[in-house]
Amino acid sequence: MPMQRPERTAMLADPLAEPRGKDGRAPDVFRPGGWVPMRQYRESEPVDFLIVGTGAGGGTLACRLAEAGFSVVGLDAGPWFRPLDDFASDEAEQSKLYWTDDRISTGANPLQLGSNNSGKAVGGSTVHFAMVSLRFRPEWFRARTLLGYGADWPIDWREMWSYYAEVEQALKIAGPISYPWGPKRPRYPYRAHELNAAALALAEGCEKLGVAWSETPLATLSAPRGLAHPCVYRGFCVTGCSTNAKQSALVTWIPHAVAAGAELRDLSMAGRIEVDAAGRAVGVHYFREDAWHFQQARNVVVAGYAIETPRLLLNSTTDRYPDGLANSSGLVGRYLTVQANQAAWGLSKREIRSYKGPPSLALTEHWNYDDRKDFFGGYCYMSQGPLPQLWANTLATARGLWGAPLMEAMENYNHQVGLKIVGEMMPQANNRVTLADDKDQYGLPIARVEYAWCDNDRRLIDHALDFMTQALQAIDASDIWQQTDDTCHINGTARMGIDPRTSVVDADCRSWDIPNLWICDGSVFPTVGGVNPSLTIQAIACRTANRIRALAARGELERRAHV
Amino acid sequence: MTASRQALQSMLDQLDALQIEADRCAATVRAARRLNRGSALLAASVLMDSAVEHYRGNFTNRAMYTPLLISVLTLAISAHGTTDRRPASHRVRHGIAVAAAATGLAGTAFHIRNVLKRPGRLDWQNLFYGAPVGAPMAILLAGLLGSAAEWVRDTPNHMPPRLFGIPAGRALAALSGLGLLCTSGEAALLHFRGAFHNRAMFAPVTLPPIGAALLLNAAVAPKCRERWLTRVWLQLIMLMGLTGVGFHAWGIHRAMGGWRNWSQNVVDGPPLPAPPSFTGLALAGLAALGLLRDHEDA
Ligand SMILES: Cc1cc2nc3c(=O)[nH]c(=O)nc-3n(C[C@H](O)[C@H](O)[C@H](O)COP(=O)(O)OP(=O)(O)OC[C@H]3O[C@@H](n4cnc5c(N)ncnc54)[C@H](O)[C@@H]3O)c2cc1C
Ligand code: SF4
Repeated sequence: MPMQRPERTAMLADPLAEPRGKDGRAPDVFRPGGWVPMRQYRESEPVDFLIVGTGAGGGTLACRLAEAGFSVVGLDAGPWFRPLDDFASDEAEQSKLYWTDDRISTGANPLQLGSNNSGKAVGGSTVHFAMVSLRFRPEWFRARTLLGYGADWPIDWREMWSYYAEVEQALKIAGPISYPWGPKRPRYPYRAHELNAAALALAEGCEKLGVAWSETPLATLSAPRGLAHPCVYRGFCVTGCSTNAKQSALVTWIPHAVAAGAELRDLSMAGRIEVDAAGRAVGVHYFREDAWHFQQARNVVVAGYAIETPRLLLNSTTDRYPDGLANSSGLVGRYLTVQANQAAWGLSKREIRSYKGPPSLALTEHWNYDDRKDFFGGYCYMSQGPLPQLWANTLATARGLWGAPLMEAMENYNHQVGLKIVGEMMPQANNRVTLADDKDQYGLPIARVEYAWCDNDRRLIDHALDFMTQALQAIDASDIWQQTDDTCHINGTARMGIDPRTSVVDADCRSWDIPNLWICDGSVFPTVGGVNPSLTIQAIACRTANRIRALAARGELERRAHV
Repeated sequence: MTASRQALQSMLDQLDALQIEADRCAATVRAARRLNRGSALLAASVLMDSAVEHYRGNFTNRAMYTPLLISVLTLAISAHGTTDRRPASHRVRHGIAVAAAATGLAGTAFHIRNVLKRPGRLDWQNLFYGAPVGAPMAILLAGLLGSAAEWVRDTPNHMPPRLFGIPAGRALAALSGLGLLCTSGEAALLHFRGAFHNRAMFAPVTLPPIGAALLLNAAVAPKCRERWLTRVWLQLIMLMGLTGVGFHAWGIHRAMGGWRNWSQNVVDGPPLPAPPSFTGLALAGLAALGLLRDHEDA
């Protein structure tokens, strides 16, 4: 009798409707309809580490801790996708990757939340991130002392350098043979991708203006790796990669974590961290399959990214901690720091078809390393490749085109060329996440996000827009215009430091107030630098895992040795 | 009695000399035909490779049709040469072989110009993804081998075959050795681009340079009849060139959609026709060894 194939309908069951990570198995992201075995822990038995959020921070940490032999359970509010099955080449369909739960965004410069800054899926925002994988400039780890702004990190750059290398290996980053800026780094594991016309336009502009440029180190494969296919240059990256070329947490850390014995639960929204009378975290209440559950744990790690992390901490008040957990400094939710994401656009006489390939194949970090400028911090800028719907949206909202002019502008889509920055904004205490009175679908108070630019932010943006405009003029682009209001990457809100009064966690991502409560994601950044954050988040997570191993070996996981 | 004995002896000597002469002649023709086969393999590799790659480049410049045309012609003359047992060169064949070599040189110049035009000039990005600087070398080599075949074939009966004033066996050993080195260099560049993600990718960057060293040694070392190691090594390289096609087919299967999506993956994946150029060069190397063996003085 022939083997029965699993039913196609069952294979394609809606991952948003029903959890996939249960009954001792997890979806195999590399095989259509496939499954892999997954260990299961009982809720009544405390696991060593319960991690909320499985993105760049949580996914990485879950993997490394499981590999180190700890029992690990990870919760994620989002679904567990199989990219080969579940991802369509359709911008509208793929909005299922974004965190679009209600939030209130206010302030002088309210942030646009959703597609451009947060994801909701196993793998977190890395499932739809743009894969740009850059290291910090070493001086940024001591920004206050060496550069005169922001705050110092409690970690030395040389230590970070080795963790960066570890992550670059783990993700098989495809990067240039030699990188023009910063101290020496080991060779990227995979070679850089072929530049598309948009990237060549950036390169040409830089050469005309006399600044260095480089291929962008990217977390997408330029050669096969295991069961993951190499990149096919179709440019759907920020709506999820259906080939598995993109080395998101979903196809790297997560499968390794599962193989090493971690259990991950999808469609599991953490609502509250439970703390006992002695002031120790004992587990997390989470919502899954129409019911609230409680998972016990010896350690709780929050890794929900810079809005959901403070929200969960603030939502977990007790009599002992009326202002929320880990908040004796009053800094939980404060110093929310995003990055400037302004762009200059123009038309090239040549056909560019910028949507071919990953969107940011070339970049310049010149203004991250050159300090002759009238503002603090730095920025890099990269070539761009917006998909048509996003581009039409940009023209409609940022340029104000509608009707016939919009149709006309869209006809030039193939000739559009653009440069966009990732710029360092200044950490400000008043940019913050608090709780609103409104409740979300789980009955939890939603986040209220307040943001205002400071003068330095504006000077940086002006400088960048001016420089990128010159770069477009230098390559004879016509019809140049500036997109002046956009931000990306949310960080801060639970900053790390050396002093419990001025920070939420220490260098090991351990909260000062509750020794078995950890925060390991983009929230711990004291400053954001002028590069995309995910490589640094993952490096910090690798470091945290190492530190946890060392602390456990010394018997210091239970309580702090000092303070 | 002695006189008749002497007469007989001299007759036998003459017959021997004739036999040797005929052998030599057959040997030069044999070597020439081997060279024709090597040239054919290289030309076939060029034909398919440039067809795919230049199709990928949309034939934006009309000159991009040239390697297709010239490699078809080279294939034709190689076929003609392979079936031709006459010990004399052929004008048209020789002319086309020279044209093929010239095309290789011009192609190299074109490709270098293309690379130098791109931002970044001679950087890794352009060496990896610009027009491949080493690729036209294959048609140059095909032309050189074809033309060597004519020279060798044309050797007057009582003379050892010579190329560019050097004994032909030695010259050919050097040429195929250098060819192997260059081709291996190109494989190294492209396999480095692929980050040597599969260990088999080291084969074409390790076996051929050793073969090249053996051949170069044969080109300059004192006479030696056997050279069995060189022979075996070249046969190994021939085999490697053929199995390389299989590995590249596997590589195509690894891309999204695999062979079901052949129309894209054959174009974008590892080039199927590239590895047999090693086979062609190894064949040329074997022809050189043959010449060296058959003409001790060559
Ligand atoms: C469009 C886009 C492009 C980007 N491009 C780049 C880039 O090119 N390079 C780069 O370095 N960075 C990029 N980023 C940023 C990068 O993706 C994030 O900085 C990084 O993923 C943040 O890691 P994290 O672990 O802090 O959070 P995330 O990766 O967002 O993970 C958080 C996870 O926690 C889950 N979660 C939150 N709250 C709860 C809760 N209460 N219960 C259960 N689960 C919860 C969420 O569902 C989510 O899966 C991009 C981001 C976006 C949105
Ligand atoms: S361009 Fe490459 S990385 Fe981006 S979605 Fe396509 S295959 Fe994935």
